[in-house]
Amino acid sequence: MLEARRNLLAVVLDTLVPASAGFPGAGAIALDHVLAAAAASPEVDALLSDGLSAVDDAARAAGGVGLAPLGQDDRERVLRRIEQSHPAFFDSLVRCAYDGYYSHPTIVARLGLDPGPLHPRGHRLAPEEPPDLARVIARGPIYRRA
Amino acid sequence: MAADDRTDVLVIGAGASGAAVTWRLAGAGVRVVCLEQGDWVDPRAYPHWRADWELHRHTDWSAEPNVRRLPQDYPVNDTGSSISPLMYNAVGGSTIHWSAHFPRFRPSDFRVRSLDGVADDWPIDYATLEPFFDLNDRMMGVAGITGDPAYPPKSARQTPPIPLDTLGATMARGFDRLGWHWWPSDSAILTRDYDGRRACINCGPCDLGCPTGAKASTDVTYWPKALALGARLVTRARVREITLGPDGLAGGALYFDREGRLHEQKAHTVVIAANGVGTPRLLLNSRSARFPDGLANRSGLVGRNLMFHPYAMVRGLFDERLHGLRGPLGCSIISQEFYETDLSRGFVRGYSFQVARGLSPIASATGGSVGDRVPWGREHRRHYDTRFDRTLTVAVIGEDLPEPENRVDIDPTLTDGHGIPAPRVSYTLSENSRRMLDHGIARAREALEAAGAREVAVNPLLRAGGWHLMGTARMGRDPATSVIDPEGRCHDVPNLYIVDGSTMVTCAAVNPTSTIQAVALYVADGIVRRRS
Repeated sequence: MLEARRNLLAVVLDTLVPASAGFPGAGAIALDHVLAAAAASPEVDALLSDGLSAVDDAARAAGGVGLAPLGQDDRERVLRRIEQSHPAFFDSLVRCAYDGYYSHPTIVARLGLDPGPLHPRGHRLAPEEPPDLARVIARGPIYRRA
Repeated sequence: MAADDRTDVLVIGAGASGAAVTWRLAGAGVRVVCLEQGDWVDPRAYPHWRADWELHRHTDWSAEPNVRRLPQDYPVNDTGSSISPLMYNAVGGSTIHWSAHFPRFRPSDFRVRSLDGVADDWPIDYATLEPFFDLNDRMMGVAGITGDPAYPPKSARQTPPIPLDTLGATMARGFDRLGWHWWPSDSAILTRDYDGRRACINCGPCDLGCPTGAKASTDVTYWPKALALGARLVTRARVREITLGPDGLAGGALYFDREGRLHEQKAHTVVIAANGVGTPRLLLNSRSARFPDGLANRSGLVGRNLMFHPYAMVRGLFDERLHGLRGPLGCSIISQEFYETDLSRGFVRGYSFQVARGLSPIASATGGSVGDRVPWGREHRRHYDTRFDRTLTVAVIGEDLPEPENRVDIDPTLTDGHGIPAPRVSYTLSENSRRMLDHGIARAREALEAAGAREVAVNPLLRAGGWHLMGTARMGRDPATSVIDPEGRCHDVPNLYIVDGSTMVTCAAVNPTSTIQAVALYVADGIVRRRS
């Protein structure tokens, strides 16, 4: 049962953020984050279970075999129906999926960033000349004297 | 209940203003005790030390106490408000998570009634506060550059300005093309080592705290100096009420310690520095036969005239990468082109533009302060890659006007972890503020397009934008129309002072902390002067 839920969730996540342009899909990247969020909150867990059941029902109604065998376009059609019928679940799922996906070191590195902690490395800024403020200064005071 | 020794001055709250007032009093030889409901924040606890730092922005490091829900936080019923109040409860208060944007109020901001016929004048002026602005700048450490024609001449800034970098220079070009004012932000963030603190390393998310100590949260500026001067700071001490003696003077405060035990801290003078929501909450919870409607509330104005700075967020999308993840999040450049009143615009008073840096990886997906999530599905990657590191956001910061219906009162049922009644916030954006923000959105769009943006997205009112909590115990000469006098003393209780954002008569169109702290130092000077 748990394995089936996990597999369905992975397919849903891959439909939300499919593998593309060298980026892996969210099924491989964000699955653990979403499951951890559900494990940390009974409310989130219940929302996820109900929502995934609705996804499974809708997929079977559409194709008779569940979500996994469907192609990306058909999966998206199923999920767009769920987005309308279960907006709280879907909004929460997308938010959680994006959180897990875009905080994962694999994706952060793929974006061209250092995936480690920000501190103490920080960022190096290129040296620059003092800003040219001559035009602004030439206007003279723009405040009211009071 | 344990009773502590009577102290000269009791300060409630260890944030921006409480730290400043404590330091000034301790330096004058006054015995000061400060009670703070939060704790010290260990710089090693900041999310910057973790690879998943961005996840913490919406959980345990959220600026919203109702999201964060730490033991030291109190809930705020904000269901009746279009803006959510933000705050942090710790030594340093909300300077822990502020962006350290540090403009001053302008001279005209203290003369709103005289100049524009609305709201009220302050009973003090810019010239009175100027030495305190300068003193506070030295204590906090300000990066900036003098000569801004939007202000009277200022003293030298402590360090050079934060570099514009690609993003700031891009926006400056837009303002230049339109002939509008702009200036590098005055920022309470060091760009060089100063006063024993290290320079900024440009890591970015100042809103999650500053592990370097370059950002001027008062736990690293005022507090070490105040403690060295002999001030006593008690943390995890949540004040339940201010006590009143038979002489009608404040006698001290009742507070819960970290184990939940009730104490009484007696004092000759009490100073409240608990922010524009916490201060009216405390006063309204301090009822007595003499003050059945709340302490120092004979005017009925405690909690009323709540002002936020309403924010509209206008984000431009550019073709080129802007490197917006490097450098302090909230500080780049400011424009005050539309600051002073021009009634031909359809509203009174004005607004500033504050140019913030780029969106981090998760915020790029969720839309950040604009909230327009990148679509999911087959097109997700293309949309995301078009947006990531190619946006800059112009925040329109409007001057709210005081209105009695916008207020803080006590929620009839909600309480904090100690059973103390919690605040309730009621706030509706005024028609004047709406017209002001709409004007600002249109002008920000114009500036972004002049800078080269090919798309512009708008959030007309940022709900999670209640950083600035002001006006709920306003200053004035008339006890019928104000809570505190021009010296910061409550009209009704002359040994009770207020020094936080509650005191503000009007709120200007810039971030208020610099002015709040200058007022706090000015009030502290008066306390010292009267004692001697």
